[in-house]
Amino acid sequence: MILARPALKENSLPFLLLVALVGWFIPGGGYFLLRETARAIIIFITVALTFGLGLYIASIGVVDPISERLWYLAQILSSPLVTVIGHFTAGGGYPVYGRPSEMGQIYTSTAGLLNLLCIVNSVHLAYVRKTQSVEQ
Amino acid sequence: MFKLMSILMAGFLAPEEIGTTPQSLLLLLPIVAAIAIVYKATKLPHISPGSFLKESVVLFFSIVIFMVVTAVILLGVAWFVIE
Repeated sequence: MILARPALKENSLPFLLLVALVGWFIPGGGYFLLRETARAIIIFITVALTFGLGLYIASIGVVDPISERLWYLAQILSSPLVTVIGHFTAGGGYPVYGRPSEMGQIYTSTAGLLNLLCIVNSVHLAYVRKTQSVEQ
Repeated sequence: MFKLMSILMAGFLAPEEIGTTPQSLLLLLPIVAAIAIVYKATKLPHISPGSFLKESVVLFFSIVIFMVVTAVILLGVAWFVIE
């Protein structure tokens, strides 16, 4: 274990970062890099559907980088591609209020937070695998 | 095809109508399902269709039952305070 640590720092940090970045850009992408295809597909479909359902309930106006920054912060965890939606809605051209707004925020933000869980878990999985391979 | 795409896109440009009715609480179910599925996808050491489905369904109903129990307790507390 003590011998494994220096090798980890030198060799695997870029890979761990890559796993995190791919997992952020495409939900489940981190697992795909780790050849966990079933896990990757399940996570991609679930996170994308949850986010899509949130957008359908509340319209794309629920992604609001100006007046709903905290929600936007959680939403952007789904994928940096959310900034594209934010670019279109920043001018306030798609107003949404009341219950649909609440539901949409909850759905889209939960999708982002679930993706954060997946990113952290895939990085942890990559780290554990590297540690095991170096020990062997 | 273009018409179908337009109708589909239009759904994302205007909000749906959701009233403050008891039925609107059913919107809880898809999000609970998403949480159960993603959580089990991250936690199970090996994904096989049977065990994954079973574990996800068990977690889904655990969350729903817990929320129903919490709602009933809160309703009881509210009734106790009002009466």
